[in-house]
Amino acid sequence: MTAVDRIDLAIEQGEFFALLGPSGSGKTTLLRIIAGLERPDEGEVRIAGRNVTDLPPYGRHVGMVFQNFLLFPHKTVAENIVFPLRMQNVAKTRRDEQLAWVMGLLRLQGLEARYPNELSGGQQQRVALARGLISRPALLLLDEPLANLDRELRSEMEVEIRRYQKELQIPFIYVTHNQEEALTMSDRIAVMRNGRFEQIGAKHEIYTNPASAFVATFVGHANRLDGQIVEIDGALARISWNGESLLVPRPTGAAAGDKVHYFVKHEDLEIAPAKVNGIAANDMNEVSGILRDIIFKGQTTNYIVALAAGGDLVVSDTPRTASVHPNEQVVVRWPAAVGSCFPEKAR
Amino acid sequence: MSGLGPLSTFKRNPELRFVGLAGPGAIFIVVSLLLPLLSIVVFSFWRTESYELYADWTFDNYRTLLSEAAYRTFFLRSLITAIIVTVVCMLCGWPVAYFIARHGGRYRLLLVLTLAAPFFTGAILRITALQGLLGPIGLINMALNVVGLAPIEALMYTQLASGLGLVYLFVPFMVTAIYLSLVNFNFELLEVAKINGARPWRAFFEITWPLNWIGTAIGMILVFIPCLANALTPRFLGGPDATSFGMSLSQQFGETGTWALGSAMGVSLFGASVLVILCLKPTIRLKRSGFTGAMTQ
Repeated sequence: MTAVDRIDLAIEQGEFFALLGPSGSGKTTLLRIIAGLERPDEGEVRIAGRNVTDLPPYGRHVGMVFQNFLLFPHKTVAENIVFPLRMQNVAKTRRDEQLAWVMGLLRLQGLEARYPNELSGGQQQRVALARGLISRPALLLLDEPLANLDRELRSEMEVEIRRYQKELQIPFIYVTHNQEEALTMSDRIAVMRNGRFEQIGAKHEIYTNPASAFVATFVGHANRLDGQIVEIDGALARISWNGESLLVPRPTGAAAGDKVHYFVKHEDLEIAPAKVNGIAANDMNEVSGILRDIIFKGQTTNYIVALAAGGDLVVSDTPRTASVHPNEQVVVRWPAAVGSCFPEKAR
Repeated sequence: MSGLGPLSTFKRNPELRFVGLAGPGAIFIVVSLLLPLLSIVVFSFWRTESYELYADWTFDNYRTLLSEAAYRTFFLRSLITAIIVTVVCMLCGWPVAYFIARHGGRYRLLLVLTLAAPFFTGAILRITALQGLLGPIGLINMALNVVGLAPIEALMYTQLASGLGLVYLFVPFMVTAIYLSLVNFNFELLEVAKINGARPWRAFFEITWPLNWIGTAIGMILVFIPCLANALTPRFLGGPDATSFGMSLSQQFGETGTWALGSAMGVSLFGASVLVILCLKPTIRLKRSGFTGAMTQ
């Protein structure tokens, strides 16, 4: 069985890198290969220029933080945190210095003598981070470290972890299946699927310019429209979708007559009451339908529009913008150049 | 809701329920364990004369045990044997238990059940079988004879043979105790230790050993106490210089009929066992065992 395949990745000094993918996509396996817990059948792992492929985990000088924290239950907070330094035979005075530094950095003062089961989930995660950071490793690996925390704590920790990374300038590789986490924290993202990279790039790039249909569905929230190319016109293509004619970015490697998937993010769409319907601009798409439901989500609201031609579109907008009401006729508009379009069968 | 009879009263009253559930077990322990033990303690202060027990209160039995060199020798021999056997069982048991827990996979349960296989026959039969292996005309020495080598004298009716018999009899208890501890041990912690710079042996002594110490200690007690009282293996496998305290004890109740002295010996054994458990107790610190209720999840 091949868990990861044809992976080629270079992470820069001081970079916050996220491996994003659904469960089973091989991101944890990749992390374990980097840590030395798993041996690659072929290929090479280099850390800070040193080939560590044949080194055991204890020779690699990497830190790792786990989803279930994995603190040593029989050791106190302080003992847990200085563990890596003790294993490196660092002198006691130096150890105490480093401990004080990292306890301060992670705001753990006063918890030194506690045992892991006397800590809250957030505190345990901080201790695990402190243990990973105290020896200032060449690389810190984080395997879904926030997955076991509740939502509020998670968003707090997202910001903090990014702050530590920027302060210490240690490269972090952060594995997650949560796109929001990846987008919030990282500089660059690799989207993984079935053991391969679907796309590697700056998070903005991944979000706005997905390289494949999979990335388009996995990152952000998009409507998927399955249509057929009618004609290709420069950078744009005209597709027919449920009898509507839409202008979309031209899919690479597709010709007229091909079936395509077109993805457009919820927030790229705009909703308006049908009565202000004018003549559609040339480079705008416009479809009409009935507003089926309004889902208030706080900062944004999702408008679910049942189209006359069939199918639903989800439009995301700030709650107050549109004066639309359920069961009324509405139009949905968006610029032709937004979204991304992929041939159904990649050639 | 009411009117369901005495059963519902029982269900709703927690104190009654506690008494009802704990009572039978408690009565059983008192009748079958505490009362005989107490009677032994009482007998040890009595006197036997020509196979009769007399209730004359005296310390003579204990005086005899302390003054006669033979009993001291027997006791020390039993004590040293028990310590060595316990350590050997631990050294043999750890790798086996570790292997089953770590690499047993779906055969884990089967492998553990195999540990119980020796118990399908009685201890005496097993020891006799061992005699057939270690004795002068046993498998080992016969094989040596065939090849033209001298027999290993150390295996024939010696203390070593008796000790080997003990290890053979008791190692399953040690393996089971350690195994039960290891199946609850999170082996991922070892990976964490290794990533944090611990070499395999260091990781073992930093993480695996302390977190499984309680199980190991239970195994040690399970082996040590019966070994200390052991009367069986010296009789079948040991020679004239292998007489153990337990063997001598059983003679007091049999051949010589000195029940009072035998009781005193029993009380001494009991005392020694309690002492050993008390010695192990300070090494067991629940907080340091990771045994503290909620795990780090």
